[in-house]
Amino acid sequence: MNGQSVTPSLPTGKSLKPSMFSRGARRSALGLVMVLPSFFLLLFMIVVPIFTSIQESLKGNDGNFTWDNYKYLFTDPAMSSSIKYTIHLTVVSSIMVLVIAYLLAVFLRFSTGRLAKWIERLYYIPMFIPSVIATYGMINMYGNHGWLARIMLLFTNEPFMRIIYDYKGLLLANLWFNIPFATMLLSSALSSIPNSAIEGAKDVGAGKIQIFIRIILPLSFKSMLVAATFVVMGVIGSFTAPFLIGPNAPQVLGVAMQQQFSVYFETGIASACAVFMFAICSLVGYFYIRSMMKEER
Amino acid sequence: MTAQVQLSIQKLTKRYKTGEGVTGISLDIKQGELVTLLGPSGCGKTTVLRSVGGFLEPDSGDIQIAGKSVLHLPPEKRPTAMVFQSYNLWPHMTVYENLAFGLKIRKMRKEQIRDAVERALQLVRLPGAEQKRPTELSGGQQQRVAVARALLLEPAVLLLDEPFSALDAKLRNELREELREIQLSTKLTMMFVTHDQEEALSLSDRIIVMNRGNIEQSDSPQQIYDTPKSLFVANFIGRMNMLDGIAENGSIQIQNWELHASPDISGKVVVAVRPEDVRWKDASNPGLAATVKQVMVLGHYAEITLLTEAGIIRMFLPREEALVLSSGQSVSLTFAKHAVYPQSSV
Repeated sequence: MNGQSVTPSLPTGKSLKPSMFSRGARRSALGLVMVLPSFFLLLFMIVVPIFTSIQESLKGNDGNFTWDNYKYLFTDPAMSSSIKYTIHLTVVSSIMVLVIAYLLAVFLRFSTGRLAKWIERLYYIPMFIPSVIATYGMINMYGNHGWLARIMLLFTNEPFMRIIYDYKGLLLANLWFNIPFATMLLSSALSSIPNSAIEGAKDVGAGKIQIFIRIILPLSFKSMLVAATFVVMGVIGSFTAPFLIGPNAPQVLGVAMQQQFSVYFETGIASACAVFMFAICSLVGYFYIRSMMKEER
Repeated sequence: MTAQVQLSIQKLTKRYKTGEGVTGISLDIKQGELVTLLGPSGCGKTTVLRSVGGFLEPDSGDIQIAGKSVLHLPPEKRPTAMVFQSYNLWPHMTVYENLAFGLKIRKMRKEQIRDAVERALQLVRLPGAEQKRPTELSGGQQQRVAVARALLLEPAVLLLDEPFSALDAKLRNELREELREIQLSTKLTMMFVTHDQEEALSLSDRIIVMNRGNIEQSDSPQQIYDTPKSLFVANFIGRMNMLDGIAENGSIQIQNWELHASPDISGKVVVAVRPEDVRWKDASNPGLAATVKQVMVLGHYAEITLLTEAGIIRMFLPREEALVLSSGQSVSLTFAKHAVYPQSSV
């Protein structure tokens, strides 16, 4: 305050170091250094590839600017049916996952029986099984000559229902891969609802259904949204299961994109496909972030 | 005294797997009475309260409200309302919605609900808080809303489960007074559970002291304090000096001092004396010989620690009287009032 640039420190009388080397500046520099690795990772793994993809998707075979790749994406019958197929699969899978996971979570939260205890111990096991192995397991189970088909053969000579290489198989795979995580998220949300909140509602005269609709559902809705976001993103971007047990036509977008890129060497179309998928996910992400911000106000 | 019994608990028994619980609890609470269940944690007071509220199913016994058994009714059908220890307002609802929830379930008309909520908020001194969220309120305010929510149900019995124990001391006192005022103006029957004896003494018409699942004593606060019926109550309520003695032929021998006692007690006994009932004189007078160890002035009174052969005795004196005492001084003690319990009852 007295205009001097170097002020003596009070107890020792030594002159203090200039502010460039002060503790605060050093700490913020350290913080910056610690952030840099993740920043570069983000830059080179996500941001730069996105721009390369966008650039690539807008380039024709002659290297000039064109919308052709996107036109192809939405007009080519095979491609557009794949898009519709993917969106349909995503919506149906996500709704089923959320409904099942929510019911499971509610059961785990409020049941004190032995069944609930066992489910609680076992339900997250699918998360620890590599997706390739799980997918082959599914082929073993539901395939044309799988366990289920062989067991059915004991009762009937009708040909076994087609599950693998079909919509149903993908749906089952999505349930397998996504229910445990969604259940985990929803369980933790439900267990954070204190018993006294529910007892309070009972006390003022609310029945079971009223408690569920007016207390439990609203208090776990935010986590439901989080779970929905993760499930949608996971399903739409899934590759292993659709690649191994998905139908050949129409295909799930991830597989279609891989085919365009590695089989037909259509980098432009593959890029357009990637950009489109990213756009869908950004949309979901946008709704997610918006609802989070609204909660925090 | 002719007020009718509002809540009657008969031979209530509830045992948990851990062995804790209550056995054979019987008590009556009259219309408009505020009764406190007081006891250390694990004594079963909350078990009794939650059984009345319907949140616990007793093993045996009966609970009657206004003469009718409510045992078969679930909590939502019982004419009781509960204020919980944790502020259990619903965080996703505004204060208004929190208060109106129960009334909406009762299909009350909108205007009626609005009036009732406004009146209830006035009663707990939070007028105009309707549109606030519970998270915007302080702990004390939240608990006021919780009380208002319970009052709105116009319960036959209001149950309070340590409602103020999470609040700081000053706020606790304030809310106690407010609750007492509300109780006097509404004539509500209340059952209050606490482990805080000060709270029980200041608030209640009657205190029921519980220990290990049994009722030790049920009396007015005054009687509980002045004539504790058991050693446990004597120990639990207020400060108490406990001296070992031997009773024989109508007198109790405490070291070299003899104290008069009723002749029907003999053997090893514990003599209980409140610090304010200890009197002192010069060492030349008859009494229990003691040496002043420490004089501590605690505001309007002083606590004097005395060493005797029977152990340490604490004495409360008005501040001015304590000034003449200094540590090391020899004095002689007598008791203005004391209680005697057989030692085996510990």
